[in-house]
Amino acid sequence: MKLLHAFRARLCVVAMGAACLALASPVWAHHSFTMFDMTKRITLTGTITSFEWTNPHAYIEIDVPDEKGTVKHWSIELGSPSILMQSGWKFNTLHAGDKLTLIINPMKSGQNGGFLSQVTLPDGKVLFNGPRQEPPPAPTQK
Amino acid sequence: MNLKISNATLLAFVPAILCAQSASAPPDLTGVWGIYRGGPGAEASFRPPAPAPLLLKPEYAKPYEERRAKESAAAQRGEQLDNTSARCIPYGVPTMMSIAVYPIEIIQTPKQVTIISEAFSEVRRVYLDRPQWKIEDVAPGYYGRSVGHFEGDTLVVDTVGIKPTVSGYRGMPHSPQMRVTDRIRMLSPEILHDEITIDDPVVLEKPVTYTLAFKRMPADYEMVEFVCDNNREYVDEKGIVRLKLHDK
Repeated sequence: MKLLHAFRARLCVVAMGAACLALASPVWAHHSFTMFDMTKRITLTGTITSFEWTNPHAYIEIDVPDEKGTVKHWSIELGSPSILMQSGWKFNTLHAGDKLTLIINPMKSGQNGGFLSQVTLPDGKVLFNGPRQEPPPAPTQK
Repeated sequence: MNLKISNATLLAFVPAILCAQSASAPPDLTGVWGIYRGGPGAEASFRPPAPAPLLLKPEYAKPYEERRAKESAAAQRGEQLDNTSARCIPYGVPTMMSIAVYPIEIIQTPKQVTIISEAFSEVRRVYLDRPQWKIEDVAPGYYGRSVGHFEGDTLVVDTVGIKPTVSGYRGMPHSPQMRVTDRIRMLSPEILHDEITIDDPVVLEKPVTYTLAFKRMPADYEMVEFVCDNNREYVDEKGIVRLKLHDK
């Protein structure tokens, strides 16, 4: 999923923070977003089961109850710790048991997975999946 | 002749002497350098020139373009084809110099310049006091063997010994004969350019050159470790990259 992909001038990839470089020089992304639908954004509210501060990506594992109260588990991919630290994250920003609201780009496959766009922490603070570059489109409710 | 030189006269020469010394001493490239973003109002000279076109010999160009077409078609289907990066294999020289927003750290000593990329914690060691070996004497690897010297204010690095399985510039194929030349120079105390030239007489019609631009990171920036110990991506039996999802 991490394609050696040449960025071009003004080519922007939203949300990862590794992106949107107004450069004339070739810079390689560590990641492409092919398996995620970057045109869709959905909101998940649930309880974290684990927060993995790891490379090449960090992950949020979260249990999300649906309208009927049935809990479904989701795996949410983030940028790497290095990229996240550039937008205010720390290794202990999240903990198992935290109740969160996430906005994600879902997987095209329809599986319960996605790429984080932003998270609202229990204290109301909003963090993004790397340095923000442009306003995101409005999310649709899950 | 009786020369009388006053203290004032001597002092007047001191700046000139210091300047002469600094002009002959190589610049110190030590520091952490992040990707230079430029942007509106940026100093035009800091922007790197456009890269030269990549011209492969016909026997290499055809399979290269076919591979690119397959990758593009897969992307249209929402799939990604297998590549070394999906397997969390480091990038090697020269790609490691420019991975997304990850900075590089340069540590310069009189006999060696060490370049560390934050992505994958990759390391290049550039020997300043040793001659280069013949290519056939260098064990093929991700970083090969690098030697360097200063030409004025520019550190010129010669690297050979990159094994052909290491993904090349823009995914280009390359032979054991590939030679990479970095010309690294500070344009100001805050801006650094690395002009990279790849020469491979087996694969390329002519050498290809591109330039990377860096901006010095804040003095208190600390490099972040990067060990690829949680790679959830895998390649299925059809050569498509998939993502492992957890059940709980």
